[in-house]
Amino acid sequence: MNLDNFKSAWQQQSTDTHSAIEINQAKLAEIKINKQIKALNKMKWARIIESVVFLIIIVLLWKYIAAGFTFSAPIISGFVLNLFAIIGLAGNIGQIVLISNIDYSKPVNQLQKDFYRVCSHKLELTKLLLMSVPFYLAYVFIGFDLLFGIDLYQYLELHMIWFYSLSSVLLFIATAWVFAKLNYKNISEKWVNASVQFIVGKRLVTMAEFLNSSELIES
Amino acid sequence: MTTTKKTQFAQAMEQHKGIIYKIVNSYCQNKDDRQDLAQEILTTMWLAYDNYNNAYKFSTWMYRISLNVAISYYRKDSRREDKANEECIVKIADLSQEGESNEVVKQLYEFIGQLDKLNKAIMLLYLESESYESIANSLGISKTNVATRISRIKHTLKLQFETRDS
Repeated sequence: MNLDNFKSAWQQQSTDTHSAIEINQAKLAEIKINKQIKALNKMKWARIIESVVFLIIIVLLWKYIAAGFTFSAPIISGFVLNLFAIIGLAGNIGQIVLISNIDYSKPVNQLQKDFYRVCSHKLELTKLLLMSVPFYLAYVFIGFDLLFGIDLYQYLELHMIWFYSLSSVLLFIATAWVFAKLNYKNISEKWVNASVQFIVGKRLVTMAEFLNSSELIES
Repeated sequence: MTTTKKTQFAQAMEQHKGIIYKIVNSYCQNKDDRQDLAQEILTTMWLAYDNYNNAYKFSTWMYRISLNVAISYYRKDSRREDKANEECIVKIADLSQEGESNEVVKQLYEFIGQLDKLNKAIMLLYLESESYESIANSLGISKTNVATRISRIKHTLKLQFETRDS
């Protein structure tokens, strides 16, 4: 049996199944929103609230920098953390725009990519947080300055500075590698699959697998 | 939406509701999911209808939206108690209740059910006699990708039937 032999039977189904589906047009006309759009709206509001939080962090960090502007470790730390907050804010604004432009009449692969980007927000935030790990001393410097009014860097001995610098470089290499790997293109790798599922959930894994499989033949 | 547009939509839906039937039966295993997905497709069509461009064939546009809803459809718990409202909007008969004349179609649904989400979409469009180019445009993949996948699907189907016959 050939697939083409099935075509007529399949198309004939449209007339056969006409009574198999009943639509209540009156009820339908009352619909203003459905589950998928409700979920997207919920995500949009969550992104708006997160953006406000990022904005508050940015303002507070700028106030901190402006209050004690010198070439010191806490102030440089303030700049570094500010940079991450700005990236976070930009990412959130991008998400809001993306959600607003979701269009179901787009080609399937394109819309699924948009959905993946929308649903992978938590993963992207985790990756951003991960990329700030090599700069862990920035948190320590600011913390000491805010809590005790001490510039910790001044009290560090040279070998400690070397130790922290080297550990930061090594951490940067490791986190940059993880950052690049946590992508839908690598979803077939066990640890990537497990990490994505742990951070976001099974749905994103399914989406990633779909996108990956659709591009497999292209490459 | 104006009254004229509402009437146009109602007519278009009556004419093409078979598309919803085929998609929900291809993408969902259980009855509740089929009902839920049909509701999602129908309401998404309704909400998107204002942006429908007459330059496109309605069935192509409807397939594209329906496939997008079906592929992105995700239900954490099929047993949720949220069906009271939806049952009033769309009712789908159970596939197993269809007559014996649909035996071939049932076998096809069984086969489609085993495919992955993208191959299901390709198969559905192919069975509607859409050209490779049209399938590629609707799915946003290359014509070569479509051709390769159809050839693989045909091969798998042939093997399945040979195994069944022997």
